[in-house]
Order: sequence, then structure tokens, then C-alpha cells
Amino acid sequence: MIIELGHFALVLAFALALVQFVLPLMGTRLGDPRLMAVANPVTLVGFALVAVSFAALTSAYIQSDFSVVNVWENSHSAKPMLYKVTGVWGNHEGSMLLWVLILSLFGAMVALFGRNLPDTLRSNVLSIQGLVGAAFLLFILVTSNPFTRLSPAPLEGRDLNPVLQDIGLAIHPPLLYLGYVGFSVCFSFAVAALIEGRIDAAWARWVRPWTLAAWLFLTGGIAMGSYWAYYELGWGGWWFWDPVENASFLPWLSGTALLHSAIVMEKRSALKIWTLLLAILTFSLSLLGTFLVRSGVLTSVHAFATDPSRGVFILMLLILFIGGSLALFALRASSLTQGGLFHPVSREGSLVLNNLFLTTATATVLLGTLYPLLVEAVTGEKISVGAPFFNLTFIPLIVPLLIAVPFGPLLAWKRGDVYAVSQRLFAAFGGALLVALLGYFLIDGTGVLAAFGMGLAAWLMLGALTDLALKAGIGNVSLSVAWRRFRGLPRSVFGTALAHFGLGVTVLGIAAVTSLDIERVMVMRPGDTMSVAGYTLKFDTIAPQRGPNFTEDRAHFTYMDAAARVQGEIISSKRLYTARQMPTTEAGISTIWFSQLYVSIGDATSDGGIVVRVWWKPMVLLIWLGGVVMMGGGVVSLLDRRLRVGAPARRKEKAAPAGVAAR
Amino acid sequence: MAFWIIAALLTFAGCLAVLLPVVGNRSAVTRDADHDLSVYQDQLSELDRDLDRGTIDEREAAEARAEIGRRILKLSAEEQRSVSAGRFGKVAATIAVLLVPLASWGVYSMTGSPELSGQPLQARLSKNPAESTIDELVARAEAHLAANPQDGRGWEVLAPIYYRVGRFSESVTAWRNAITLNGQDADRELGLADSLTAASGGVIIADAREAYERALELDPANLKAQFALAAALSQEGRDDDAAVALRTMLEQLPNDSPWQDVVRRALATISGDDSNLIAGDDQSAMIENMVAGLDQRLREQPQDPAGWQRLVHSYTVLGRIADASDALARGIDALGADSEAGKELAAFAAERGVGVKE
Repeated sequence: MIIELGHFALVLAFALALVQFVLPLMGTRLGDPRLMAVANPVTLVGFALVAVSFAALTSAYIQSDFSVVNVWENSHSAKPMLYKVTGVWGNHEGSMLLWVLILSLFGAMVALFGRNLPDTLRSNVLSIQGLVGAAFLLFILVTSNPFTRLSPAPLEGRDLNPVLQDIGLAIHPPLLYLGYVGFSVCFSFAVAALIEGRIDAAWARWVRPWTLAAWLFLTGGIAMGSYWAYYELGWGGWWFWDPVENASFLPWLSGTALLHSAIVMEKRSALKIWTLLLAILTFSLSLLGTFLVRSGVLTSVHAFATDPSRGVFILMLLILFIGGSLALFALRASSLTQGGLFHPVSREGSLVLNNLFLTTATATVLLGTLYPLLVEAVTGEKISVGAPFFNLTFIPLIVPLLIAVPFGPLLAWKRGDVYAVSQRLFAAFGGALLVALLGYFLIDGTGVLAAFGMGLAAWLMLGALTDLALKAGIGNVSLSVAWRRFRGLPRSVFGTALAHFGLGVTVLGIAAVTSLDIERVMVMRPGDTMSVAGYTLKFDTIAPQRGPNFTEDRAHFTYMDAAARVQGEIISSKRLYTARQMPTTEAGISTIWFSQLYVSIGDATSDGGIVVRVWWKPMVLLIWLGGVVMMGGGVVSLLDRRLRVGAPARRKEKAAPAGVAAR
Repeated sequence: MAFWIIAALLTFAGCLAVLLPVVGNRSAVTRDADHDLSVYQDQLSELDRDLDRGTIDEREAAEARAEIGRRILKLSAEEQRSVSAGRFGKVAATIAVLLVPLASWGVYSMTGSPELSGQPLQARLSKNPAESTIDELVARAEAHLAANPQDGRGWEVLAPIYYRVGRFSESVTAWRNAITLNGQDADRELGLADSLTAASGGVIIADAREAYERALELDPANLKAQFALAAALSQEGRDDDAAVALRTMLEQLPNDSPWQDVVRRALATISGDDSNLIAGDDQSAMIENMVAGLDQRLREQPQDPAGWQRLVHSYTVLGRIADASDALARGIDALGADSEAGKELAAFAAERGVGVKE
């Protein structure tokens, strides 16, 4: 009964989403406050229904109810409880349901926390959210229903793909979706503004926190996914420029651009139309990412052509949302008023520069991702655009941007002075140069590029610190005054500095790993040793073990420092998941400060040894820690109390204008 | 019944969410300009704070203040659009309230299966055995043995059931476990040998022959083992040796033994022209039966690469090349031509001279 209730709740949510789309929009067009008032309760009830539906599917997974096709295809009674739960979104149908759950969650949050938005704006935003929700609910019900039943029910499921039975992949999709779908709110705001033909001051204020929230989840999702690929696939790489990765990276790049242009819009009412366009493009890229990953088009254009029902449906959704919103943009953008003017060299100017670089980088990655698909569709030839393309195009685009980052926050609004800012950044520049030189001369194996990367990282980090120091007035005023000013700085200033510092941390990790990592491959027998990066790795034993739903050969290693003291142990294994007869490797990783020793075992050789791959990954953790720091910056910025704009008192129409806002 | 009541309540809640705001007397609405004003005032106070903090100087502050002032002035020039609760809105809301139950019950009646109750695995395994299907009983026994793998008697009970439902390779494992845990005896070895033979589609492979030999050692008078070993000799092409063994067997058989007929027929086949079919009618019928069973099972559960190989092999041994080719085509279809298992199956068949018919 619970399963069928979940199914029914999903259908009901679809009906309510239609109402959520039509009535509030009609209300704002006709100026009928009662129709606008429908938006809030319908959004909240719709969210509750999708939540019920998701809970029902989860309970079917927990109870191993194989009368649900989706559970039978992706679960197994012997699977650990954690992976029974995460298996809910480890497959197409369930992950689409999670997508819609998060979409309706964001809608509910706009309804709950949007009380200080103008009524018409909120109604329009919720209406567009309703349209997106209705479209995706229809997609689920028509092509990917997770509640399809199977009778008679089989006795055992087919198990979840073992690669997905991992804690990293348990957290990664929800984070990623919170990011993807979070941008739907910005999209709805943009379309609402276009429908209205008016951008309120409140508009810019409210779009920025939503962008920030979506951006920080997306950052977390990408970092988590990258770390998962690093330790689970056993190849020791952390980014592959794989289309699936690019699909999440694209909205991140344009979302970062949106984040920055929204600042200009909030502070200076400039770049309005551009910000609208970016909001539309960012969500469009999120949709495109969903399409690429979900339609099967990535494995092969032909796989897509053989079972096109889902792909064609998503393609139609893409055309509806991207085409529709861009058409609306073309029609209405000219009616929007232009904002404040500014000098090219100014904070605004630097943010425009940032946007130019980021959108060009987005276009580059988009081209590299879609080009093989186009070629395959037209000529039938399979080509792959890999790391060399992106290294040659993306890196030259992003490095000048990184060099420019410390300048931005130091420039004044409207009219800035690059020479004055350069003078203030002199210390940071000196520090960066010193790091680059020390890196070049003191560390073995660093080339010019690696030293440059480290210098760039130091430049970003020191630049962020310089920004804080200058805003606090260190050097100009006494220390106690500076401390007071430091503590009184708005949180968004700390957010900016933290995010830019985190970027530097990531760049440092990338520079160190790409230039200094060491790889050794050797056939080892128990008792053998090998030396890597000053450590001696000893292969102790290998023994078979049984897990709940797999068997494994578990190899035990210990590693010693130069003085032969044991520093720690590493366990690396090869698993065979019995239900699917699928082998996986579980890399053994030992963390030493920010660096990692990475051991992956391969096939047994005929003479009783096994192939052991060992990597020394210096500073590798910084890549993801930088992402965490960036997220921290986002959180701090989001907590800025200035974002809580006061709402004017609600009053009867035609009452005397009071004009004063109540906080 | 409970389902329909709760579904009705959910629908009712959905309708209320649409209905309540519409019937409520609500003419209050915030003016857009007021919201803008509050934002600008917020910006002005923030400007003062920045000035206090010293992040901007007096000149910049004055400039910014002037700009915000200009925006506020522009606001008052804007007209607030009129707001009214019209008749048309009421009609639209009524339609919406009706649409919610109609659309949801309509769509659900097409996609849902309200008659199916939930079937949590635990509940299915713990219900009365008399009501269970044989598959459920087997699953329950499997669950028990997964928890108590040392239960030799359990394996011994399960093994022949596996054999009967055609899950031969599992039957082999079960017999092996029973032998390890309970010790060797003729019946267990015989069961193992039969399962091994059935698993390879009626061909007595080396493992099976050894098991028959062990059974015979433990029980030298065992007729089934004697007969199977003779059949094995014939399968290897040693028809003369097979005939000798069968004749020896025949001499020792009492006159009223049901084996008399079987052995005689087998002898006749061996010494006759038909060298392919060594066994008597009974035996060959049994083999045909087993192969047909395997074929049937693979139609129902096609995701079994080893099963497909066995089926192709069996048909080749039986000389039914057309069927073998047909089985190969179905197997490749089921496993996917591009999959690892599919390619393996094609290679396996090619080794035996079987290809897919065009």
C-alpha cells in the first residue's frame, strides 16, 4: 500500500504543479491577488507530496520489496543498509525523483522565506518553478516511473552497480542536484523579471543568495565527485575531462560568472540584462548536463537512437525551457531599463572581465564536450576530445583570470586605480615570486611550469589575505583599531577572501600533483618491498575475505620511513560483487599531511605475484580542501546579515502610502 | 481499502491548498515600489556603516548616496498597477480545484496498480510454508544456509530440490557442501555426479565420472553408477569397453531387475550403427528432457551466460545443429552482442562449429 500511495502522491504532485504554474501567473497578469495567493500553499503541499513519494520509494528499498521493478533492478537483500538507501538515487528513475524532490524543496523555500519579496515577483517565480516541476514530473510519470510494479515478484534483486556502492557516491548526487536545481530558482527569477518587464531592487538582492547557495552545493558536489573518481576507480587521476564531469563543471563556470555579475547588479544596478542572460544560461547548462548524463547520448549517439523515448523527451524539455526562455529574453530584454554607468577600470569593470573569461571558458568546455557527439551524429565516426584539448584551451583562458583575481576586490566601485592597487599588492607579488623561486630551486623535479603554478597559488592566497588586511586598515591605523575594524568587516568580505583563498589552495594542489607525482608499477610477492618518495612499502600478505555481498582478495601493506620506522599500514583489495559477477578495485590510501600514498592492486601473474601500482600524490588533498574552503566562503557570505532585507508592512490597498519600511 | 481512504484524503488536502486562498477575502497586496524603497534604505544604512568602518571615504559615500537618492526619486514616478479580484479568476480557480482530483485519479488509474500490496522480502520469507511457492521455499532455505553455512543436513535437503527445479550448478555446489560437511557416501556422490552431468547438458564430464567412480567404490553394487560409467566410456568413443562393461553388468543383474531392459537397449545401440546415441530410449529421453528444461529456463531467465553455453553445447552433442544455432542467436540477443558475455558465447559456439544463421 505504501508504494502505491507514493505513486499516487507523485501523480497528485503533478496535478498541483500544473495549478502552481497556471493560477499565480494568471493572477499577476490579471492583477488578481487571490490567484497569486494560491502560489504559496500549493507549492508547500506539492513539496510535501513529492517528499511522501520519495519516502515511499526509500521504504521499498529498505524492505527489499522486489515487486517494484526499480528496486528489483537496483537492489539486493544482502546489500548493507546504507547502500540500500543510497541505491534509491543510484539509478535513473530514483535520481530523477531526487531531482524533482530538490526542485520542489527549493520552491517551498522560496514560498517560506520569500515573504519579503514583492507579491507579483514571488508569484511569478513560483509559477515558473511550477512549470519546471510539472515538466519533470510528467517526464518521470511517462518515461521513468520508479513505481512500476512487477508481479509475481522475484525473490532476489539484481544489485546496485558495485562501483556505486560507496559512501562518496552516496553524498555526491544529492549535493550536485542541490547545485543544479538551485540554479532553477535564479532561472525562475530571470524569467519572472522578463514576464514582468521590470527588475525590482529586491530582485538583485534575492537572486544573489540563491545563486550563492546553488553555487556552493555545486562546488561541493563536483569536489566530492572528483574525490570519488580518484579513490574508487583506482586510476589515481582526479579529473578526466570526461563528458559527465564537464556536464557538472559547465554550470559551475557560468554559475561563478553569475555570482559575480549579480554583485554588480545588487550594488550598482548595472549589468541587469547580462545577469538575466547568465541566470538563464546557467540553468540551461544544468538541464543540458542532466540531458547528457540521463539520455544515454554519451555512451553513443546510436545507443540514444535505439531507445529514444527518454532522450527525446528530455530534448523536448530542453527546447521548451532553453528555447522558450531565450525567446522571451529576445522579446523583452530591450524593455528593461539600463542601470548605472561605470568606468572600464573599476570593480564593475573587473567583474565584467571575470565574466568574459568565465563565459569564454564555459563555451570552450561546452565545445569540447559536444563536438564528439556532433561528429558522431553527422559522420558516424567516434572521436574523443580529451585532456590535451582542454589543457591547450581551458588553461590559457583561466590562468590570466587567476592572475587578475586579487585585483578585483581591491578596486573601487565606479572608478578604480590599477596603479594604486598594484602598489598595495606588491607584498603579495613578492611573496608569490619567492614561493615560485623556492619551489623551483629547492624541490626536486619541479619544472618552470610547476614553479609558476605554485607562485600563482601563493599569489591567490596572499592576494586574498592582502584584501582583508587592507580593508581592516593594517599599516594605516593602530593595531587595536585595525583589529576592531577587522572584526566589523561585513561577512561578505570574508566570504570573498575565503573563496579566493580556497581557489589558491586548489591551484596549489593541482600544480603539485600534476608536476610532482610519482608512479611505480611492480610485480610483488608477499615479503617484497619497493621504495617510493622516501618511503619503503612492504607487501605483507594477501588473503581472501567475505563481505556482505562480495568476496575480496585483500592485500596488506606496511610502509616505513627512511629510518625503517613503521609509519602506517595500507589495505588495498580486489572485490568481486557476486550478484552481478562484477569485479572492482578498492584502492588503499594513506594520508600523510596533505599528501597521499595510493596503492592499487591488479591481476595476479602466473608465478604467484600480483601487479601493484603505487602513486605518491604530493599535496593532492589540497585540490578538494580548496573546494571545501570555497564552500566555506560561500556559507560565510550567505550568512551576511545585510542580505536579510526588511519587508515592507503588508497593508490594505488604497491605504495612505506610509513609505517607511519596517525591518 | 485503507489505500483509497488515504488517497482521498491526500486529494482533499491538494484541493484545499488551491481552494482556501481563493475563498479567503484577500485584497491586501504589497506595492512593488515599497519593496524597492526598503532595499534602497537598507543600502543607505549600509553606506553609513561602511563610512564608519572606513572602507570608503567621504567623497565616495556622497556620490553613492546621490545615486541611491536618484533611484528613490525614480520610484515615486512609477505607477502601481491596479489590483482587483475579478470574476475570471474565480472561474479559473474553480476549474483548477476540479482539475486536481480529475487529473490525479485519471493519471493514476492509467499508471498505478492499486490492487498490488507491498511485498517486503522479510514478510514473504516468514509466511506459512504451505502457502509459499517452491521458489520462496528455496529462497528461505538459501537465507537459512547463508546464515548457517555449516548446516550439512540443510545442504543435503536443498541439493535434490535444486536439481528438480533445474538449477543444476547450484545443485552441484549444494552436493559438494553436503559431502564436505556430512562426509562421503554413495548417494551424495551419485547426486553430485548426476548434477554435474545435468549441468553440462547430459555429457558426463571428468568431474562427474570421478564422482561416479567414488560412488561405486563406496557401494560396489550400485547399478546407476555402473551404468553411468559405461555410458561415459561410450561418450569418449570407447564403445568396445562400454559394451564389455555393460555385458558384465548384465551378467550380474537378477532376472527381474528393471535395469535388464535398459542395459540391453543400451548394448543394442552401441553395437548398432547409431554411434551417437549411446544410451537407451529412456536415457536419451531423459537427456532431451533436461535440455528442453534448460532451454525453457533460459527463455524465462535469459541473463545466464554459462547457461547459454551449456545449451549450445548440449544441442551440438545431440546433433541438433539448427537448434544450437537458434539457441546461440537467442543467447546473443539476451546477453547483448557487444557485451563481454555475448562475445564469449559467440566464440564458444564458433569453437564447436556453430554460427548464427543468416
